[in-house]
Amino acid sequence: MLLFRSEEHVERWLAGRTPGTTISVGALCDLAHAWWGDRLDPDWRPHTRDQNQAILDRLCLTDPFWTLP
Amino acid sequence: MNAADIALRNATYRRFVELGRAPSAPEVAATLGAPVGAVLAGWRRLHDAHALVLGPGMAELRMLNPFAARPTPFRVEAAGRSWYGNCAWDAFGVGAALHADCTVHTTCPDCGEALQVNVRDERPDQEGLVFHVLVPAAQWWADIGYT
Repeated sequence: MLLFRSEEHVERWLAGRTPGTTISVGALCDLAHAWWGDRLDPDWRPHTRDQNQAILDRLCLTDPFWTLP
Repeated sequence: MNAADIALRNATYRRFVELGRAPSAPEVAATLGAPVGAVLAGWRRLHDAHALVLGPGMAELRMLNPFAARPTPFRVEAAGRSWYGNCAWDAFGVGAALHADCTVHTTCPDCGEALQVNVRDERPDQEGLVFHVLVPAAQWWADIGYT
């Protein structure tokens, strides 16, 4: 899970390997806040698989690549 | 995950933020007034539940996601301290977890150029950078270190 200068840099780094998926740094920021925002809450409770999938769905990360087990 | 393990997990995270580094099992045990063995046993259950990640000896913290217990290529400045994320996603998660503006420092894995992103009010100050995820979500925990 790495940050690159551009799609061109991702492609060159992959050097022919199968790519995963990419999102913009703005979308990453949204994802990070939605996913990690409660980790230090005093009354934190574990997320269920469905709660985590709902976060991804809300951010339009609905490609099968983003389907949790 | 039972209530006692959740309490241990929350105490471990709280101590991490207070110290600005990973606490040892004796440090968390002292905080809770619990035996060190009970902390280690609880950490192992939390590791199995993917609530934290222990190192190879199963006695030290490796990841309190999004925080990394050791230096990584993803350094974050937030809340007056330097932290490390386990990956680019986690790096942005450090500011999110602390509810603080932050600056993420890393390098482009392709060209090695230093990248710096300032996040203010939950928005990055640049949009041209790209986040790449190599491993599909269904396999993230198969090898979380690689993911």
